Amino acid sequence: MRLRHVLVDLKGQSKAFFRIKSNIFWTLAFPLFLILVFGAIFSAMGSEDIKLYVQDLDGEAGADMFLENITITGAVTVEMVDATVDIDQYIKDNSRTNVLIIPANFTEALMSNGTEVATVQLRLDETVSTSSVVRNVVGSVINHFNLGMSGGQEYLAMDVGGIVNERFSFLDFFVPGVIGLTVMTTCVFGVQATVSRFRAAGIFRKLATTPMTPFEWLVSRMIWFLFISFLTLAVVMVFGILVFGMSMTLNLPSLLMVIAASAMFSALGMIIARFVKNEETANMASNAIIFPMMFLSGTFFQLEMMPDYMQDIASVLPLTYVSQGLRDAMVYGNLEGAYTNLMVVAVIAVIFVAVAVLVTKWEEE
Amino acid sequence: MIEVRDLVKTYGELRAVNGIDLDVRAGEVYSILGPNGAGKTTSVEIMECLRIKTSGEVRILGFDIEKEQKEIRKRIGVLPQSFNAFDYLTVKENIDYFGALFDERIPSNELIDAVQLQDKRNVWFKNLSGGLKQRVGVAISMVNDPEVVFLDEPTTGLDPKARREVWEVIRGLKSQNKTIILTTHYMEEAEVLSDHVAIMDDGKFIAMGTPREIIDRYGSGSTSVVKAANDAAVNVVKASGMDHEVKDGDLLVKLEDNKSLTRLVGMLSSPDVAYNEMLIKGTTLEDVFLKLTGKKLASEVEQ
Repeated sequence: MRLRHVLVDLKGQSKAFFRIKSNIFWTLAFPLFLILVFGAIFSAMGSEDIKLYVQDLDGEAGADMFLENITITGAVTVEMVDATVDIDQYIKDNSRTNVLIIPANFTEALMSNGTEVATVQLRLDETVSTSSVVRNVVGSVINHFNLGMSGGQEYLAMDVGGIVNERFSFLDFFVPGVIGLTVMTTCVFGVQATVSRFRAAGIFRKLATTPMTPFEWLVSRMIWFLFISFLTLAVVMVFGILVFGMSMTLNLPSLLMVIAASAMFSALGMIIARFVKNEETANMASNAIIFPMMFLSGTFFQLEMMPDYMQDIASVLPLTYVSQGLRDAMVYGNLEGAYTNLMVVAVIAVIFVAVAVLVTKWEEE
Repeated sequence: MIEVRDLVKTYGELRAVNGIDLDVRAGEVYSILGPNGAGKTTSVEIMECLRIKTSGEVRILGFDIEKEQKEIRKRIGVLPQSFNAFDYLTVKENIDYFGALFDERIPSNELIDAVQLQDKRNVWFKNLSGGLKQRVGVAISMVNDPEVVFLDEPTTGLDPKARREVWEVIRGLKSQNKTIILTTHYMEEAEVLSDHVAIMDDGKFIAMGTPREIIDRYGSGSTSVVKAANDAAVNVVKASGMDHEVKDGDLLVKLEDNKSLTRLVGMLSSPDVAYNEMLIKGTTLEDVFLKLTGKKLASEVEQ
């Protein structure tokens, strides 16, 4: 591979890109437009309501105090489950994702001055983004209790404050999804449309007579759309922070996720364009792939709100992991979840890029 | 410069190129003339390393078309059929883009001067007319200072004025001693620009040589066209025994030799003979093609 060829194409692409006004709209203005519209619609709905289903098998004062502390954090809403029900069956029947079980001897253990450990059981579906919030809330309340029992009042006050402020609005949930969505649409449509247009216009035939290889061209286009993805990320973040006062973190997993997602979706656009040769049909094929992902991958609303079978569909859509990973990394601070989702996206990206490299050819025979 | 032996290209049952031979010498313009679907583009795209041959042998500048494509690509320039460049780059930027892909290249300003696009240098490609786009295409095909230039239907779809402007550019290439392979379905273009012509139909060359040689070999001399000739004119020619026919009210008389014309003029000076005008029409490549295939070259009416 010759770097000069890649740079020549990048230079040409960058000049041409910003001369097309619609490119600027779809890449930069459209995500902001989405945030504004959906922000206005959903901001009236207030905080995201994360429900924690609790089965109290103890029923004593210690359990009441523990639940009261969880409730005052304001981060979750406690819903009680009858102590007599089979909790496993209940979880299964009602598709519950966040369940806390307080054992029968909880208060007694709490009062034993450390001779017994009071262990609550937290049953979480780790694939659901709110699980990290629940885990943090319950964990913090436990720390609160531990510190309180050992006399560390100063630590307690600071810790509780931190928990109380940790409330997530719809935009906190939505904005990382918009970044994932925009990376997907920009890369898939961008690469597919370029390949289809270049093929129809005979530009590939002309490039085939030059020393540039199809691989060099593919690398150039993937780098270009990675740059556009980062541009989207920057614009959306600045807008979210300045206009909506959001607190988003730009960290290593979020950057790695954008890189992996951009590579994965660029390669997907290439694959679509190579297998669907007619320009119009290729556009329709891109839409057919993008639109279900747009609505089923938890961009606009939480996966938990969807029926089970829809959640099963979402679990095989790459955008689900991109949005979830970005949310975990940028908003919820759940790095473990972010890296888990990143792994999934990275594996799919490697497969898609390998296929794209194999199918990218100048010749149409 | 170019040697082609028994070249065959098949697509399933279809033999798009059916065993052609070709020898092109340095510095000449060699035209492959034929109707749409004759196999012209397939043939040259094999020579341009864009398609893979089914069988036969092709050597460009002494390099084998299958084994030495890299060497060939460095030394050839190609204007593909229906050429397009990047819409939102200027003329100069487009030439610079393609030039930068080669190790050795001609500065874009020199090429812009050569195709006379100085005043369009900073105009986006999308805003150029068809003829100007083709001139950009010719400039781009020259970026690597090639020894051989392939021009695949460079004037298709252009109006007569734009077509002649492209001809001038091609003449300019010839004056630089470039070897040019030109495919066209315009008979006049092949006649005006070419040193040698190969007429192609159904994947085969049906006639080859200089335009004059082909006309002399396959043509049938000149014809006198007597416009709106009256019956007396027809009768006098008929009585003379000269080969003739009446077509659309015109009397067409075959001129076998130089004396035939003098004889005809004498006959038509009788007082009862009347006609509008008399023209002499020589045999064209179009006539040769019609004679050899029974078909007309497509799109000639566009001219």
